[in-house]
Amino acid sequence: MSSLLKLLATAAASLAFGAVTVQAQDALPDLDGRTIVAVTENAYVPLNFVDPKTGEGVGLEYDLFNEIAKRLNAKVDWQLSSWDVMIQAVRDGQFEVGMDGITINEERAELIDFSDPYLTSEQYMLVRADEARFTDAEGFAADPDLLIGAQAGTTNFYVAVYNVLDGEETNPRIKLFDTFGTSVSALQAGDVDTVLMDQTSANGYIGANPGAFKVIGGPLGAEDFGFILTQGSDLLDPINAAIAAIKADGTMDKLQQKWFYEYNAAQ
Amino acid sequence: MTYKPRPPSILARLPWWLLAIVLLFVLGLWLIRTNQGYNTIFKALSGGIITTLWVTGVAFAAATALGLLVALARTSGNRLLRELATFYVEIIRGIPVLVFLFYVAFVGAPALVATLNWLLEPFGGAITIRQFDFAWRAIVALTICYSAFIAEIFRAGIEAVNRGQVEAAWALGLSRRQCFRLVIAPQALRTILPPLGNDFVSMVKDSALVSALGVQDITQLGKVYSSSTFLFFETYNVVAFLYLTMTVSLSLLIRLLEYYLRRERR
Repeated sequence: MSSLLKLLATAAASLAFGAVTVQAQDALPDLDGRTIVAVTENAYVPLNFVDPKTGEGVGLEYDLFNEIAKRLNAKVDWQLSSWDVMIQAVRDGQFEVGMDGITINEERAELIDFSDPYLTSEQYMLVRADEARFTDAEGFAADPDLLIGAQAGTTNFYVAVYNVLDGEETNPRIKLFDTFGTSVSALQAGDVDTVLMDQTSANGYIGANPGAFKVIGGPLGAEDFGFILTQGSDLLDPINAAIAAIKADGTMDKLQQKWFYEYNAAQ
Repeated sequence: MTYKPRPPSILARLPWWLLAIVLLFVLGLWLIRTNQGYNTIFKALSGGIITTLWVTGVAFAAATALGLLVALARTSGNRLLRELATFYVEIIRGIPVLVFLFYVAFVGAPALVATLNWLLEPFGGAITIRQFDFAWRAIVALTICYSAFIAEIFRAGIEAVNRGQVEAAWALGLSRRQCFRLVIAPQALRTILPPLGNDFVSMVKDSALVSALGVQDITQLGKVYSSSTFLFFETYNVVAFLYLTMTVSLSLLIRLLEYYLRRERR
């Protein structure tokens, strides 16, 4: 009986302390120098990609996750896989944490655990430079002859379905491609009329192909990106706590400023 | 007055296609040497050359060994072995390499790890899926896929040896094993080597599929480089150049080999 009381007392105490630590800064969990196996693909400017000058993997997600690990007193063992197999490999426990601008959604949440969102994506419409048939998403949606290129199950696919078209995932106006590169090549060739992408990628394509592309309309979409973790991972709560701290002290804004506005992909 | 054909002139005998290929190669090299952009791309992709050659080399050696075993089973006197080997060849040959890669990586590998752990349990050993990286899974998949094709090449080579030769060997009192080693194998080798070489060339190309698992071969590095620089056309030019250099030089080696094998026969 007394042991039960003790248990209740400690539970109450830890609850009270827990409530206190959430408010306190710098009281993040300490992972004791443990190594986290993290995976990305290096094919998504500006989140994770190879710096052409150094050959090193760089990007917002690298900076962000290294910062998270630093605050949790952990090391990161960076690994690479392709996007096609990333979710499956994290699910199998081959990697502990995966990141690749992964949109949080219910279908995926059945396979892996998502961290809290660390970024809300804004997508812009990239079109051929001579495009005059439409000037925004409404104009595009109104003309049934116009086609949009996307990659199956990616952020730009979801935004195309739910923010540009009619919310029907099997809409024949969406043409699916394997990578960003192929969908942009298809846009250039005239197979599709627009491809959605974030500001940095759009600037990169415009810079690398002078006179070929332009951006029209305002930002679209509200897809949240989260880290993916093997189900039941003990890293979920520490990572969420670190994300909250990084957002709270302005570090997240600095990272977005650096990678979305200051970084010039087409140098 | 007998008709004597005139020997063809030197111009008619020159292999112009080879000259064109050499020119193309020199042009590619010159571009990579002089053009700053191509030079950077080449440097970025050069790390993948070793990976591509390593994956192809290991998988091909293993596939040849496995293919020989399957071919021996297909031509053996034991009916059960024959049936099993034929079943294996027919099933494996009918699955696309890319599909098989995913299959091995995400069905085969976890199952194998689980089986090994079950076997190791009494000895306290335990392995994780993490110790079985994607490059090795890709090698296993390529090995199994190609072993079926190579088994057929070996079988054709073995069956092409004249039946009379085998009967003669029996008549001389050679055992089954001696007959294979001394009579069949040396003759079958001549039939086998050229198509085996061709399979090696197609494996170099098919190894590009391992990029689907994120193995850092030439193709994957090309994908990564082009996505960060937005230079698709230029990057894939270099990717194609690297593969062509490997495949064409291998094809030429095979031609040489065939030439010498033919000469030996005369």
